[in-house]
Amino acid sequence: MSVEVKPEVVGAIEQAERELQALVADSESEIGAVAHGFQELAHDTDEILRLAGEVVGCVEDEKVLSVLPKVRSLGAAARQFVRERLEATEGVLETVTAEAKLLDRLSQLTRGQRSIARETQTLSVLTNIEVARLGQLGAGFQYLAHELDEFSQTVAKSTRELSSHTEERKASVEETKRLLATGLPRIRREFARIESDLVNALAVVDSSQEQLARAPVQFRGCVEEIASQIAGVVAAVQGHDITRQQLEHVQEALLWMAGRIEEEDDADQPQIAAGLAIQLFQLRGIQETVGRWLEQIRCCTGGIERISSSELVKIGPLVLDQERELSAQLARIEALEQECEKDNEEVQGTFAGLSSLMRLVGEHLEKSRYVRDRLQLLTFNSIVEASRLGSQADAILEISQSIKRISVEWAEMTERSAQAKEEILALVEEAKTGMQAFSEDSKEGLTAVRGETSAGLEHLREAAQFAADSAAEIEAATARLQGRLSEVGGARDRLDGCFSRIGTVREVVDGIKRDQEALAPGALERCDRKMAEERFSASYTTEIERHLLRAALYGTPVPEVEQNLAGNDVELF
Amino acid sequence: MRRILTVDDSASIRQMVSFTLTNAGYEVGEAVDGKDGLEKASQKSFDLIITDLNMPNMDGIEMITAVRKLPGYGFTPILMLTTESQAEKKDAGRKAGATGWIVKPFNAEQLIAVVQKLVK
Repeated sequence: MSVEVKPEVVGAIEQAERELQALVADSESEIGAVAHGFQELAHDTDEILRLAGEVVGCVEDEKVLSVLPKVRSLGAAARQFVRERLEATEGVLETVTAEAKLLDRLSQLTRGQRSIARETQTLSVLTNIEVARLGQLGAGFQYLAHELDEFSQTVAKSTRELSSHTEERKASVEETKRLLATGLPRIRREFARIESDLVNALAVVDSSQEQLARAPVQFRGCVEEIASQIAGVVAAVQGHDITRQQLEHVQEALLWMAGRIEEEDDADQPQIAAGLAIQLFQLRGIQETVGRWLEQIRCCTGGIERISSSELVKIGPLVLDQERELSAQLARIEALEQECEKDNEEVQGTFAGLSSLMRLVGEHLEKSRYVRDRLQLLTFNSIVEASRLGSQADAILEISQSIKRISVEWAEMTERSAQAKEEILALVEEAKTGMQAFSEDSKEGLTAVRGETSAGLEHLREAAQFAADSAAEIEAATARLQGRLSEVGGARDRLDGCFSRIGTVREVVDGIKRDQEALAPGALERCDRKMAEERFSASYTTEIERHLLRAALYGTPVPEVEQNLAGNDVELF
Repeated sequence: MRRILTVDDSASIRQMVSFTLTNAGYEVGEAVDGKDGLEKASQKSFDLIITDLNMPNMDGIEMITAVRKLPGYGFTPILMLTTESQAEKKDAGRKAGATGWIVKPFNAEQLIAVVQKLVK
C-alpha cells in the first residue's frame, strides 16, 4: 500500500464510521420521538375506542334494540286504526243516509196526520151543524163535535211541532252527510299518506338499524385492527434497536480495518478484503431491514388513521337521525288520534241531536195513540147513538163512518210512525255502537302501542343524546389523533432521512473495497474465511448478521424473511 | 399492582416494554443496564424481570446470576429479551437462572400472556 493512499483510506474509513455513529445518534432521538408519539397515539386510539365502545354498548342495549319492532307494531296499529276509522265513517254515512230516508217517511206520515187533523176539524164543524139541526135530539152529539175540535187542534199543534223538528233534523242530517261525504276522501288520502310515511320511516329506520347492527362487528374489527397495528408499531420500534446493534458491529469492523491498514501489514490484506465485503453485505441488509420496519410504522399508523374515517365514529349522528324520524312519526300519529277524537265528538253530537227529536216523536206517538183510542171510542158511541135515532140522524151516522175511517187511517199512520221511529233508533244505536267500538278498541290498541313506542323512543333519545355527546368527544379525540399521526409521520420521515445516509457510507466502503482490490488483487480469494468469520462475527447478536456474513464469505443465500417484524413468541424454559 | 422491571440499554425497547405492560395493568420500573437493574432489584421488590442480554457495564447473564443471589429473588421469573437466538446463549441464560427467552422484537400479545401466566 502506498504512503499517499494509506492516510486517505484510513481517513475515509474513519469518516464512514463517524457517519454511522452520527446517524445512530440522530436516529436514537427520532425513534424516541416515534415511540413517544406512538404512545400518545395509542392513548388517543384507546380513548376513541372507549367512546365508540360506549356508544356501541348503548346502541346494543336491549331497550334500544326493541324500538324497531315497536315501531313496526305502531305502524300496524296506526294502519288498523285508520282502516277502522274509514270503515266506521262509511258506516255512519250509511246510517245518516238511511236516517234521512226514514225522516222523509216520518215527514210524509206527519203530513198525513195533519191532513187528518184538518179533516177532523171539518167533521167537527159538520157535527155542530147537525147538532143545531137536530135540536134537543142532537144534544148528545154536542160532545162529539167538541172532542173532534179538540183532537184536531191538539194533533195540528203536535204535527206542526214534529214537522218543524223533523225538518231541522233533516237539515242537520244532510249537513252531517255532506261533512262525512267530503271527509271520506280526506280520510282515504290520510290513510295513503300514513301508509307512505310509515313505509318511508321504516325504510329509514331499517337502513340505520342495519348500519347499527353492523356497528358491534365493526367495533370488534376496529379493536382487533388497532391492536394489531399497535403491536406492529411496538415490533417496528424494536426493529430500531436491532438496527442500532448491527450498525455498531459494522462500526467496530470499520475501526478494526482502519487500524490494520495503518499497520501496513500485507498479511492483513485478505482479512481487510473480507471485512469490507462483509460490511457491504451488512450495510445493504441493514438498509433493507430499516426499509421494512419504517414501512411497518407507516402501514400501522395508516391503519390507525383509518379509524377516524370509519363508519363507527359516525354512529352518533346515525342514531340521532333515527330518533328524529321516529319522533316525527309518533307526533303524526298523535295528531291523527287527536283529529279522530274531534271527529268522534262531532258524530256523537249528531247522534245526541237526534235524541230530542226522538223524544218529541215519542210524545207525539203517545198523543196519537190516545187520539186513536178516543177516536175509536167516539166512533163506536156515535154510531150506536145515530143508529138509535134512526133516519133523523143519517148525517151523524155518515160523520161517524168518516170518523171510523179516519180512526183506522190514524191508527195505521201512528203505527207506521212508531215503526219509523224504531228503525231510526235501531240504526242510530247500531252506528253509535260501531263508533264506540271503533273509538274505544282501536284507540285503546293504538294508544297502548304508541305508549310502548314512546317509551322505546325515550331510550333511543337517551342513546342518541349520549351518542351525540360521544360523537363530539370522538371528533375531538380524532382531531388529536390526526395531529399525533402527523408528528409520528414527521419523525418517521426524519428517521428515513437518517438511515438514507447508510447509502453514502456504502458508497464510501464500496470505493475503498475497489481501491483495495486494485492495490492487492486476489486478496479476498486468499482470505482464510473461517478466520474472517470468527473475527467479524464475534460481536454479532442477530442471526441476520451471521447469514449476511456467510453470504459475503461463502455466497450462501440469505433467508427471505429473517427478522420477524410481527414479533416473536416467548420460549419458556 | 404487580411490579415488573425492564432492563435494557435501548430506551426505545424499555419504552415499548413499559408501554405494553403498563397498558396491561402492571407497574413497570426501568433500568438502563445490568448494573442498574441489579441495583433497582435490590432496592425494591419486583414480581418479574425482563432483561436484555448484551448491555454495557453488566450484561444480562451476569445480572441474572447476581439477582438470583438477592433475598426474595430465588423464584422470581426472569425473561431474557434479546436479539440473540443461538442455542448456546439460551443455554447460558437458562443456567444463570432465566425463566424464558424472547427474541426481539417481542410480540406484545404473547408477552402479556406469558407475564400473566408467570405473575399470578
